[in-house]
Amino acid sequence: MGNADIRQLAVIEPKPFEELAGSVVAIDAHNWLYRYLTTTVRFTSGSIYTTDAGREVPNLIGVVQGLPKFFEADVTPIFVFDGGVTDLKEDEVESRREQRERYEDELEAARAGEADAAEVSTLESRTQRLTETIQTTTRELLGLLDVPVVEAPAEGEAQAAYMARYGDVDYAGSEDYDALLLGAPYTLRGLTSKGDPECMYFERTLDELGLTWEQLVDAAILMGTDFNEGIDGIGPKTAVKLLREHGDLWAVLDARGESIPNADRIRQLFLEPAVTDGYDYDTEITPDMAAARRYVTDTWEVPAEEVERGFERIEESVVQTGLDRWS
Amino acid sequence: MFKAIVSADTLGAALDSVGVLVDECKIRLEDEALTIRAVDPANVGMVDLELSANAFESYETDGGVIGVNLDRLDDIVGMADSGQLVHLELDEETRKLHISLDGLEYTLALIDPDSIRQEPDLPDLDLASEVVIEGADIDRSVTAADMVSDHIALGVDPDAEQFYVDAEGDTDDVHLELGREDLIDLTPGEARSLFSLDYLKDMNKAIDTDAEVTMELGEEFPIKMHFGFAEGDGHVTFMLAPRIQSE
Repeated sequence: MGNADIRQLAVIEPKPFEELAGSVVAIDAHNWLYRYLTTTVRFTSGSIYTTDAGREVPNLIGVVQGLPKFFEADVTPIFVFDGGVTDLKEDEVESRREQRERYEDELEAARAGEADAAEVSTLESRTQRLTETIQTTTRELLGLLDVPVVEAPAEGEAQAAYMARYGDVDYAGSEDYDALLLGAPYTLRGLTSKGDPECMYFERTLDELGLTWEQLVDAAILMGTDFNEGIDGIGPKTAVKLLREHGDLWAVLDARGESIPNADRIRQLFLEPAVTDGYDYDTEITPDMAAARRYVTDTWEVPAEEVERGFERIEESVVQTGLDRWS
Repeated sequence: MFKAIVSADTLGAALDSVGVLVDECKIRLEDEALTIRAVDPANVGMVDLELSANAFESYETDGGVIGVNLDRLDDIVGMADSGQLVHLELDEETRKLHISLDGLEYTLALIDPDSIRQEPDLPDLDLASEVVIEGADIDRSVTAADMVSDHIALGVDPDAEQFYVDAEGDTDDVHLELGREDLIDLTPGEARSLFSLDYLKDMNKAIDTDAEVTMELGEEFPIKMHFGFAEGDGHVTFMLAPRIQSE
């Protein structure tokens, strides 16, 4: 999830979708999918995305709804999927699991009791998780639509940031502020929202703060990350001030007589995360629309009317080329 | 500083050709001409327009760029009768455009040019075939194709020395062939590309039926259409990206 307080440090500006025409965005797939899953589950009746055998595929509706805006804006998305979970992050995963179980209990109680429908659906969306079925079917549908997919060795976000750093893609796409700590030069946020996205700038952020990349990461560690609790009483402003004063994380900790377990490893997860050069993709997208439709509506029993508009928009936008192809 | 007087017909024709693609645009007030270049938000259709100072009754400028809402400006100019003159004057202080026609005074708030999408680069196109055709024949082709389909193929058969139009619908088809004798001029070369009728219909609206239109075409390439207006003192180039042809 990342620490949302990082927003207070970052240089972020709105970026109209139309200015993105012709660009390639490496998207943190889990992060993106999760947003569509929660909205689909919240606003769609469960029977629509549940097969007769009881398997839930709200992700398929999410993918068909989420893709058209990229194609219509002439933006090529590359979906970067998470590999293994970093062991330091197990705490975070564990706490999210506990929270979900708590929601599940509440949901159970709400269904049994008097709670209104809105409350039940809110709880339903919070209990949403990326099941094995969701993981597999998302990849299969993206495959039929010829949308590029990259498998990260660990965190999808770190891999997306890496691809952006090496200029293979124009932007990283994630809602998570950690993309900044991972050094993604330009990160697009709000790709799943209705309005225009915003762009988070790495170099400009460092210039503005007068910090190095390492110092920015150190500041974030003091504030708290997915991998560690922050130091009590250190918010964004204080963290930056302390780094400017003391130079690095250890000097700050020394000065304050505090410690953060595994600090050097956490630092490394941002500065040198596990990433791979072993990816290959083709940004020329030629989807097999008929096969994609069959997959969603026949194989996974989603009613055609739920996805038809999305499929039509995809079809229309991929057969129409853009003039930038010739300039 | 910008101060000009121009006939409502001329200004209206210029605005129409841009308005079919975008809602807002930048107008460059150059010494010799007023120029506009814009591309629609999906990057599919582009317009490049030049209205020479000769097209105006009077034209004074010291350069600069203004941003306008085209619908608004078009509505105002639409209030004028054919042949009436429109006076335009830029107020540098308030960044507003004073428009007066036949006693009607309208003060138009301008848009910050920086907030308008950047003007596109012209695509670099090397198109094999050139067809000079009457606006009326484009109108006929587009209208007929629109009855059966939402896209249209435009091509040249170099052996038969013919320009042709194909539209295939679910049930009905449209085909039109125009030979040398039906065209104003033809430079034959292999060409066939498929285009969205939504765009072509809009562009067609801005082309007079008696206009002489030069179409440049290639194999799966964008089309370029040039034509003059305001007795040759205005010039428009439309460019439209093709659709991918399915087998």
